[in-house]
Amino acid sequence: MAVRGKYRPRRELQRQQNCPSTVQWMLFTVGELGQAGQFHMESSKQKLFSTSSVLSKDKDKSTAFKDSPPEGAAKKQEDGAETPKQQLLDIIGNMKVEVSYRKKLQQLKASENKKQAMNKVEGLDSEGSVPQGITEDTQRDKPLNPELVKAASAVASSLPHNKKQIESELLAQLRRHEETTDKQKKGGTINIRNVISEMTVKRQSPAQWGVRISGRISLQDEDGRRIRPERSSARSMDSRRSLKVGRRLNIFTKASTEPEHALKTVSSPTIWDLEFAKEVAAVTAQPPRNGFEEMIQWTKEGILWEFPIDNEVGMEDDAEFYEHIFLEKHLEGFPKEGPIRHFMELVICGLSKNPYLSVKQKVEHIEWFQKYFEEKKELLQEI
Amino acid sequence: MAAAALCWALRAARQVLPSSCPRQVRSYYVDWRMLRDVKRRKMAYEYADERLRINAIRKNSILPKELQEVADKEIAALPRDSCPVRIRNRCVLTSRPRGVKRRWRLSRIVFRHFADHAQMSGVQRAMW
Repeated sequence: MAVRGKYRPRRELQRQQNCPSTVQWMLFTVGELGQAGQFHMESSKQKLFSTSSVLSKDKDKSTAFKDSPPEGAAKKQEDGAETPKQQLLDIIGNMKVEVSYRKKLQQLKASENKKQAMNKVEGLDSEGSVPQGITEDTQRDKPLNPELVKAASAVASSLPHNKKQIESELLAQLRRHEETTDKQKKGGTINIRNVISEMTVKRQSPAQWGVRISGRISLQDEDGRRIRPERSSARSMDSRRSLKVGRRLNIFTKASTEPEHALKTVSSPTIWDLEFAKEVAAVTAQPPRNGFEEMIQWTKEGILWEFPIDNEVGMEDDAEFYEHIFLEKHLEGFPKEGPIRHFMELVICGLSKNPYLSVKQKVEHIEWFQKYFEEKKELLQEI
Repeated sequence: MAAAALCWALRAARQVLPSSCPRQVRSYYVDWRMLRDVKRRKMAYEYADERLRINAIRKNSILPKELQEVADKEIAALPRDSCPVRIRNRCVLTSRPRGVKRRWRLSRIVFRHFADHAQMSGVQRAMW
């Protein structure tokens, strides 16, 4: 290997989840890289790379599952390091909260590992600011792809801070990915968790399957053709299971449909749309076949009331009884003595006994009087 | 105001309802007097609250008389068609101003016509 500057204590790679698209994996890698809690810029850069690896997973299909992210990231970075970065920054901006918490945890672990790593420090070609806590494993089965190395160096050079250190960290990441892929190929112990999580999916007993199949058979053919629907149903069941089961990849963000709906409601009432709707309604509305349908139509139009008759149709008075009766609080705008007050108290007495008006109407009534008397104030003062 | 509601329904029925089965829709009022009556009813509905409140000030023994005189002038200044007194309960079908039964809003002639043809629900020739 060209660059073997940084050496780190070997983390339990079994902790890594096998879906690199999950945030957990990304955070874990972040934590690994950002062991030295002192410089946060480095770790942020590593976050960028790890997220880029997550996103560009789809680009590379040739290599193994784990290799694809870093390669894809490298290729992407080679082409144009700006647009993915922006995307990543946006994504990171959303995920920063979790990351910071995780980072603290990892930093705590890093402080423990530092003491271990002090022993393993070999020749460092990094700058003085880099602490000696970062170490790497020297055990490697396969050398990394020279393309990957070139890509890593290109990426590191594109970034402003601590290029060599970034490069070495990237390569360490890649190495770790390769190791995990090798483990997977050999049938390692990593996949247990996923398998267990998948096991939580409901499994129907064969008896239930038999019931279902028999139900289907009764619809299709009755004689002799039992085998085919069974097989097809089994296959369909399996395919259904495989489609729906599994952890979410979080590749696609949910397209927010709210602004679309808002736009649609604004622009929808065009004349042609209304005309079309009218045509459709006219075509689909068949004349009533009997008296019942006629009555239904009348009810929809509002000609016929709904039975049993609800006496409070259209009245939506949500106010309590005390709001109807105790109306004195609305009398604040009036003078406290004099004939006007007397008059208004009579008005309120009458309103409180009125069951036909809503509270709103009563309040409007009182406010009208208030306005009227305010207009006549000059006249009243002359008197 | 029952006849008013009916007349408004008639006017609303001028708009063709989006239904495939065509109904007999009356698209005109019987005569101009009926139309004027409809206008009066509309205006009376609009000004009803105000008239009620101004009258409450007028028909009062508590408030000073000057105020009541001012209220008199105000109510006189309202449009003439806004007073409910000008509404005449005409026959809905023929616009006959006299001989109209309130319950059916029909003049006596129309009522008799329909009752004899058994088109009035629950109406029977009296015999005792």
